Amino acid sequence: MYPPELVQSIENLPAARTECLGPPLQSEEERGKLLRDNHPDLQSAAFRHLRVGASRGTRVAHEIADQLEAASDLDYADLDLNPTRSTDVLVLGSGGAGLIAALSAASMGAKVLLATKLGVGNSNTIMALGGMQASVADGDSTLRHFADTMLAGKSVARPSLVRTMVEDGPRIVEWLRKLGVDFDRDDKGNFSTRKAGGLSAPRILSVGDFTGLNILKALKDEIRCHPNIELMEFSPAVELTTSKFGECNGAVLFQLPIKRYMTVSAKAVVLATGGSGRLHVQGYPTSNNFGATGDAVALAYRAGVELVDLDSFQYHPTGLVFPQHMVGMLVSEAVRSHGGQLRNNRGERFIPELETRDLCSSAIINECRQGRGVRTPGGQQGVWLDTPQLEEAKGDGFLRKKLPHLYKQMLRIGINITKQPLLIYPTLHYQNGGVVIDEKAESKVPGLFVAGEAAGGIHGHNRCMGNSLLDIFVFGRRAGLAAAKRMHDSPGQPTLGHVSRFQQELKNLRISNLARSPALFPEFISTRL
Amino acid sequence: MSKTPQLITIELEGRKTQVPAGVTVIEALWDTGHDVKRGIGCLSGLCGACTIAYMEEGGRRVKFGLGCQTLVQPQMNVIMLPFFPSRRALHDKPALADPATRLADLYPELHSCDNCKGCNVCPEWIVVAKVMQDAIQGDYASVAKGMRACIMCGLCASRCPRGIAPHFVGQFLQRAWGCSQEAPGNLSRRLVEQDNFRDESGWAQVHGKTGAELEELCRQIVQPAGKD
Repeated sequence: MYPPELVQSIENLPAARTECLGPPLQSEEERGKLLRDNHPDLQSAAFRHLRVGASRGTRVAHEIADQLEAASDLDYADLDLNPTRSTDVLVLGSGGAGLIAALSAASMGAKVLLATKLGVGNSNTIMALGGMQASVADGDSTLRHFADTMLAGKSVARPSLVRTMVEDGPRIVEWLRKLGVDFDRDDKGNFSTRKAGGLSAPRILSVGDFTGLNILKALKDEIRCHPNIELMEFSPAVELTTSKFGECNGAVLFQLPIKRYMTVSAKAVVLATGGSGRLHVQGYPTSNNFGATGDAVALAYRAGVELVDLDSFQYHPTGLVFPQHMVGMLVSEAVRSHGGQLRNNRGERFIPELETRDLCSSAIINECRQGRGVRTPGGQQGVWLDTPQLEEAKGDGFLRKKLPHLYKQMLRIGINITKQPLLIYPTLHYQNGGVVIDEKAESKVPGLFVAGEAAGGIHGHNRCMGNSLLDIFVFGRRAGLAAAKRMHDSPGQPTLGHVSRFQQELKNLRISNLARSPALFPEFISTRL
Repeated sequence: MSKTPQLITIELEGRKTQVPAGVTVIEALWDTGHDVKRGIGCLSGLCGACTIAYMEEGGRRVKFGLGCQTLVQPQMNVIMLPFFPSRRALHDKPALADPATRLADLYPELHSCDNCKGCNVCPEWIVVAKVMQDAIQGDYASVAKGMRACIMCGLCASRCPRGIAPHFVGQFLQRAWGCSQEAPGNLSRRLVEQDNFRDESGWAQVHGKTGAELEELCRQIVQPAGKD
C-alpha cells in the first residue's frame, strides 16, 4: 500500500534494531528549549487575548477566539421564541457526559430531552479506546490519583475539581459495573489495572481495546429503555436562551433533516457538546469526531460564562499521516508503552519514547522542521513508528493480540503492521480548557451545567491518559443530578437578550468577524484533491 | 504526485460521476457536493454511522463496509446505508438479571436462526453467525467477548432473512453478562475504605494549599510508590 518512495525510506531503517530507549535528553535546559521551540501551545503567535465577554483579556487560540468573537448565526430578531417543547432538563450532546447526565437527571424523576447534533452516542467517547482511570488497585489511593493529576497538569488545575473527580472515581466504576460494563479482570477476579505515562500506580481500567465504545454501548442501551428520556437526533443547539434574570432556561435547536428551528424551554440545561478538535487549531490534523467544533464554548460564552485554559491543547504524538484518508487518526499510546520506537528519515532515534506526550510531540515536530522527517506523497511530513521491531522483539502475534483494532484497521487498507511501520505526526487530541464550573458542574450562569470536554479546570495544562473518561462520567453525573434539582422551578419566558447584548458589544468594539458561530460542522477543505 | 488528480468513474448514490482516485467513499460524497451529515461521525471506523453497500466491477454479490474506511475503485457502484430499521426490545433490570429465561420473550426470532451465515458481513470482522449460535446455546460469556468489537452499525441485521437484529441481541447479552459478574475484590475494598474516610487526614493536608506549596505536597504523596 505504501508508494515506492516510502518503501524506499522503510528499507533505509537499520536492519538490526536495538531495544534500549532512544537518546536521552541532556538536560532540563534542552527539554525546555525543545518545548519552547516546537510545542504548539508555546508559539505565542498562535494566540490572542479575547476582546469581549466575561473572560475578556484571557489568552486563547486564534481558532477558538474566532468562534468566541463571532456573531450569532441566528436571525434572532425574527425568530419565534415561543417554546414548542418544554421539559425539566435539556441535555445537549450525547457523548459519555450527556448520556450519563440524562440518566442521572431521569433517575431523580425529571423529564429529560436529549438533543444531539449527530446520532446518539456518536462522539469522541467511543474513540477513547485506551482506558479509564480510577484508583481501585490495592496500594493505590484517591490521594495519589489527585497528586498525579495535579502534577501532570502542571499544577494549574483546580484542586477542588480534581479532588471531586478522583473521589468519585471508584463509585463511578461501581455504577458502571452495575450497568453491565464488563471491565477486564485478572485471574483473582479483581479489576485489572495498568500503568500509563505520569501515573505513580497502576490505575487504567479497560474493556479490551474498546473501553469507551463498550461503556457507551451500555449507556445508550439504558437510555433507550428509559421512559422519561426523549431523544432528538440531528438537532444541534445553535443558541442557548436565558430568562430576563439571565438564568439559562432552554435552547434553540436546529433540526438538520427538515431545516427548521425550534425552541425548547427547560428548567435547567446540561451542556455537554464536547471539544474543538475539528477547528484544527494551528492547522494540525485531529483525531476528533466530525462534530467536535467547539460549539459548547461559543454558546456558553455568549450566555455569560467564564472560560479557562483555552490556550492549552493536547497534541497526541502518534497520529497517522499516511494514508491520506486516515490523516490525524490516532495510534494508541499503547504502541509506545509496549516499547515501540520512533525513527526519522535516516533511521535514527531521537527521543526516549516514554517521555510525556508534550515532549514526544515536540521532538517529532523538531525532527520534521530540521529536515529529518519523511515526506508523504500528500506533502506532509512524519516519522516512522517502528511496529515491525516491536513484533520482532515481543514475538509473533504480539501486535495482533495486543492491538487488534489497529491491526485490523491497517490490514484493511493493505498495511501489515507486523511487516511495515506506521508514518506518524502529532495530532490535535484534546481541549484541556473550557467553561469554568464548580463541583456541581454548574457554570457562572444559573441553570447552565457544563460537563465533559467542554468543561475546564480539571486537567490543567496537560491531561493524563484515562482521566478524560473519568472526568466525563463524574461531572456528567453531577450535572444531571444538580440540574434535576431545579425541576420544580419556573423557567420563565425564553429570550435571546444575552445574544443581542453580545452582538452590541462586538459592534461597539468594531469587531467585524465574518465567521459565524457555532460552527456545527467543519468545512471540508479539499486541498489535496 | 502530480497536481491534477487522476479521475475515475463510479456510480455514487445511483448516479454516474467522476471522483479523484484514492479517496474514501465519504470523501467522494463530499467532493461531488453531497451534503452528508447523517452518515458521518468519528471518521476512524468506530461509530458505525457511515455504513455503505457496494458492488465492485465484475462483482456478483453486493458487499458492505464503512464509508470512511473504504476507498473508491473504478466502476464501483455504491450507496450509503446510514440506517437500517430493526427491532430493539425494551428490557429492564430483572431481564438483565435473568437472560436465560427472558431472552426468548425479548427476541423470540433469535431461535428461528437457521445459521445461514448471511450476517457475516461485519466491518469489524466479528463472526456474527457464530456469536448468534452461542447466544442460542446460552454461552453468554462467549457472546460478551465476541461482541466487544461491535460498533452497532447494524449491517448484520440488514442481511438477516429472519429479522434478527444481532447487534441488539449482542448488546443485551453483553450487559447481562457484565451484570452477572461478582463484585471485584479490589473495588469493593476501596469503596469500604472511602466510606470509612481512610484518606481524610491526607485530604486535610491538601485542603487550602495552593501553588508551589501544593505542588510540593503532591510530590511527597507520589514519592513512596515511585520506589516500589
